[in-house]
Amino acid sequence: MIDRLVGLMILVISVTVFLVARGYEAGFGDPLGPAVFPQMVAALAAILSLGMIFRPDPNPDFRMDRARLKQLATLAVLIGYVLLLEPLGFPVSTTLATALLAALFGARAMRALATGLGTGVGLYLLFNNVLGLPLPLAPAFIG
Amino acid sequence: MKRNLLVAVVMAAGMSATAASAAECIAPADPGGGWDFTCRTVGRLLTELGIEEAPVQVTNMPGGVGAVAFANVAGKRADEGDLLVATSTVGVTQIAQGKYPGGVDVMRWVGMLGSDVGVIVVPAASPYASLDDLLGALKDDPTSVPVAGSSGAGGWDHIRLLMLADSAGMTGDAYKAIRWVQFDGGGPAVTQMMGGQVGAVSTDLGEIAGFVQSGDIRILAALSDDPIPAFPDAPTAKAQGYDVTGYNWRGFYTGGEVSDADYDGWVAALNTLYDSEEWKAAAEANGLIPVWRGGAEFETYVEQQAQQMEEISRQIGVIK
Amino acid sequence: MDILNALMDGFSVALTPTNLGLAVFGCFIGTLIGALPGLGPVNGVAILIPVAFAMKLSPGSALILLSCIYYGCMYGGRISSIMLNIPGDEPAIMTTLDGYPMAKKGKAAQALGISAVASFVGATVATLGLTFFAPYLAKAAIYFGPADYFALYVMAFATIGGVAGVNPIKTLLAAVIGLMLASVGLDPATGTARFTFGSYNLYDGFDPIVSIVGLFAISEILMYFERIAGEGGEAVPLDRGLPKLREVFAGFPASLRGSVIGFICGVLPGAGASLGAFVSYNVEKQVSDKDGTFGTGDPRGIAAPEAGNNAASGGALIPMLTLGVPGSGTTAVMLALLISLNIQPGPLLFERQPEIVWGLIASLYIANVVLLVMNVPLVGIFTRLLSLPQWLLMPVVIMVSFIGIYSISHAPFDLFVMIAFGVLGYALRKLDISLVPVVLGLLLGADMENNLRRALSISGGDFGILVHSSIALAIYALTAVMLFLTVIMARRQTGKAAS
Repeated sequence: MIDRLVGLMILVISVTVFLVARGYEAGFGDPLGPAVFPQMVAALAAILSLGMIFRPDPNPDFRMDRARLKQLATLAVLIGYVLLLEPLGFPVSTTLATALLAALFGARAMRALATGLGTGVGLYLLFNNVLGLPLPLAPAFIG
Repeated sequence: MKRNLLVAVVMAAGMSATAASAAECIAPADPGGGWDFTCRTVGRLLTELGIEEAPVQVTNMPGGVGAVAFANVAGKRADEGDLLVATSTVGVTQIAQGKYPGGVDVMRWVGMLGSDVGVIVVPAASPYASLDDLLGALKDDPTSVPVAGSSGAGGWDHIRLLMLADSAGMTGDAYKAIRWVQFDGGGPAVTQMMGGQVGAVSTDLGEIAGFVQSGDIRILAALSDDPIPAFPDAPTAKAQGYDVTGYNWRGFYTGGEVSDADYDGWVAALNTLYDSEEWKAAAEANGLIPVWRGGAEFETYVEQQAQQMEEISRQIGVIK
Repeated sequence: MDILNALMDGFSVALTPTNLGLAVFGCFIGTLIGALPGLGPVNGVAILIPVAFAMKLSPGSALILLSCIYYGCMYGGRISSIMLNIPGDEPAIMTTLDGYPMAKKGKAAQALGISAVASFVGATVATLGLTFFAPYLAKAAIYFGPADYFALYVMAFATIGGVAGVNPIKTLLAAVIGLMLASVGLDPATGTARFTFGSYNLYDGFDPIVSIVGLFAISEILMYFERIAGEGGEAVPLDRGLPKLREVFAGFPASLRGSVIGFICGVLPGAGASLGAFVSYNVEKQVSDKDGTFGTGDPRGIAAPEAGNNAASGGALIPMLTLGVPGSGTTAVMLALLISLNIQPGPLLFERQPEIVWGLIASLYIANVVLLVMNVPLVGIFTRLLSLPQWLLMPVVIMVSFIGIYSISHAPFDLFVMIAFGVLGYALRKLDISLVPVVLGLLLGADMENNLRRALSISGGDFGILVHSSIALAIYALTAVMLFLTVIMARRQTGKAAS
């Protein structure tokens, strides 16, 4: 069933891509133009999606349980991390995010915090000082 | 693992001490290209010559032929005084064709340090002995000779070819029918030409000078005012009766809200760099002719060039 | 003999204590950078260029340091592929197919050993090829035109169905999804913005490293929560200590085959190490997967792609040195380095600066030996990583990948793209769609399209050009043979299952 739904989704996306690509045109000097190749690929995807629709595999296991909540929490931490990376600076945001991730993976509070601190400071030193790839140090409102 | 890492940290920290407040140069391309070279060479020389104290940090910010870096600097870092962004005629062409988010007036143009020269080259065994031969053949049948270069249709390499076709008296419809093949750089274009895939190449000399020296290819025309110092025998297009020049300068811009003091500081720093023997040597090794324009003079130059480029692009039909 | 004399001179340059020290240092740093997900050989070499200048190295020494880093990265990329199912860089994606299953069976040390030996074989074959045939191969490679490259990509995608996963339709679909993702961004031939939704951030399309880290690393942690929920926590069995010699050489014939194929792919500018690893794996599977063990931890499935990608990266030095044409991102960086050292690669390099070329080639031999020797004890250290608690290992790996990406591009947007790819990777995995073809589609799609369009630009739109060259025809014939073999093989396996 899920295969059928996903197949249908891919079919819709392929058709959309095919239609959107029609709008791409080259001025001159390019006989094939920017539209044809994406359209060929989209057509192929549409044909293959029929395979999923008509010969679906059994449903994957997908229930709303603790694992699912942890996955969502992980994504939330990662997105939050990206949002806060530049405002808070690298060491602080990385310490926080790593500690939260470690906690999600079942670490006890102190250990999670230690992992966070070690990662935040260690990676900063590794990248900024050893590899010479600058990272934002302080929160944006300070410096 | 931890211990090994520590050893690496100690070893490497000993040799590369990076200060936090170092100047930064953004190369709006992947490592390895012309803009990357500009940043890395200029950055290195600024440090080696003691013009900048701390090593200049090079950041690669590829995307949209420089549009991503342009958007980034215009949006987030317009007032950062310790920032340079590498660019060239190719970047100004993009701006003129409206492919960046903003015009030349959004940035402050610091200076140019050198210039590459456009050339039209053919294989050593090509039947075309002069620019007249090649353009004559294209005039008879625009589809007879596929021509390759490192830019897409409507990019600087292509425009230079069309400018020649235009000055040879071809009509717009005729020169738009010339077969143009884009490769990822002048080197690939030339090797594909040597393999017999295309008949001629229009691109910058710097990247392909080795093939001229080795005798694999010939320069039909140099798009410069005077013959190129390294190849004095190669005729200019002007000397053959086609009034077309096509340089590709290398230079820098910085954010539009940078203070006058910082801006003047950069102009002075680059000027000092330009006057050094080291820059002359590095430029020559890369097929660049050292040329200096800085500060207000450079700003005017870029403005005029953008205007010209817009007119040419409109005239040959790249933009409407 | 001229070549041997020149090589001896090269060794006398490379074997000075300073240069030898640099080689060891470069190999170590290279392995480290290659092993960090998100940092590959391109970044590795680019990062170390300023260090080389800061140390005021002579051109020869700088080149030795950088090429050791390059080779080291190629070795290092496979480590996280095998240990964590997260490729350290693009060419290491094929290594996940058999490397990770093998590690999960408790044979991580053996897998690392096999891949180290295969890398050594591949890189050595390539270096030998570079020593003896470079000028000839470069001359041959220029006759490979756009239509021939297109044929090569058609071969790769037509035969992909048999490579990974159970359901060939889904595997093909995965490749097509990759091709679709590859068309996002500015079209190089005309500058048209495609599927960018008006965002400049998408003008350069999806960065391969960003997508790989997202697809593999982030989806891996999402999958992890389900696995522990299902199995109540898994303990990966560990084979402590060093693998036995016999086990390590299990894939030796496969690595020889993989080396030759990878080397050929490497010599063609524009094909590169990822294609080298892919074709090596694919051919090896056709040739020797009689019992359907590929994909479940077959030693040959590790040896072939590892030999392939290392041979390809060695082979890629040939067009870079003799033509000045970089075949890949990494060789582009090396090219930039050479130029900034006032060495002009191209047709005259071997004549004008033989001491540089031969010093470099000699140092590649040395790098290989150093890497092999260094990698044997490292096997023990890396396998011990697996016994770290998951709450420590996983968050740190994820953070390293994030920072690896961010430190290069400084664009939070890339990190969002990475998270989105993580969700996509998770969904695909749940649906039993293999991730490897997605990445291959993404990596090769743009080149496939560009070469098709170049061919048609040359012919003025006449599709006949695609079958005009005998090289292209030969590749299509080979494709037909490989497809035929796949069908035979599938028949035989279903026959076996039935009896």
